[in-house]
Amino acid sequence: MILQTALLIGLVVFSVLAILLKDLLRSAIALAVSSLLLGIIFFRMGAPYAGVFEISVVAGLITVLFILTIALVHKGDEVRESRLVNWAFPLAFVVFLVIDALVMKGLIGKVPALASGAESGTFGEVLWKGRTLDLVGQIAVILAGVFAVLALFRKRDKHE
Amino acid sequence: MSNTWYLYLFFSAALVFAGLLGLLGKRNLIKLFICIEVVGKGVSLLLLSTGFAKGSMLTAQALVITYIVIEVSLVATALALIINIYRTTRSLDIRGLAKLKG
Repeated sequence: MILQTALLIGLVVFSVLAILLKDLLRSAIALAVSSLLLGIIFFRMGAPYAGVFEISVVAGLITVLFILTIALVHKGDEVRESRLVNWAFPLAFVVFLVIDALVMKGLIGKVPALASGAESGTFGEVLWKGRTLDLVGQIAVILAGVFAVLALFRKRDKHE
Repeated sequence: MSNTWYLYLFFSAALVFAGLLGLLGKRNLIKLFICIEVVGKGVSLLLLSTGFAKGSMLTAQALVITYIVIEVSLVATALALIINIYRTTRSLDIRGLAKLKG
């Protein structure tokens, strides 16, 4: 439990660093580290498939995409951020953490989460038989993403 | 079990709030997208921890994997869009897009 709490604290710290760091490359790397920590948390919760996806896809592929984009738009990374954010963000975040710690305990009994019956079968059976429509949706979303990227990088005709 | 669930809910709420604060205050397009990613991390932690607490881990895992696939598609499209915006405005500043007002 102590290790899990330490991992969760690390996850929040690296996520906040990803938001607050000025250098975009460092932000992307901090985001990758937080994804890695989230993957380890998933493993320790007994969700190895979600953990593998989190580490390989989110910490790996998405970080590569981010770094590639940052390399392509390198000159544009000197955006002047508001000074207000630098001191207001930590202040608001700490205030929220205090409220979160006080309120969340009371909310737990009221969160409308269904208590399902005991699950049977393997993960494969649940994914392929129980959530078949999700998989169809995933295929549709991937195709939509591919077509969107193709449309965005389409070469312009000379006549346009 | 309730204490463990409390811990996960506490941290996922913190992640979602940090992402939302960043979305409110930041001006860099890539930074804004990183904030969306942080919100997404909070949501996937919430999904899996609720499955963990309620004993439906397999369904929760299936949902998280679906979310990750959607996230990849979203990231690819959004980053392509950001590159195109950069080509047009030569800047990643979100305020530059205000010029597009009709």
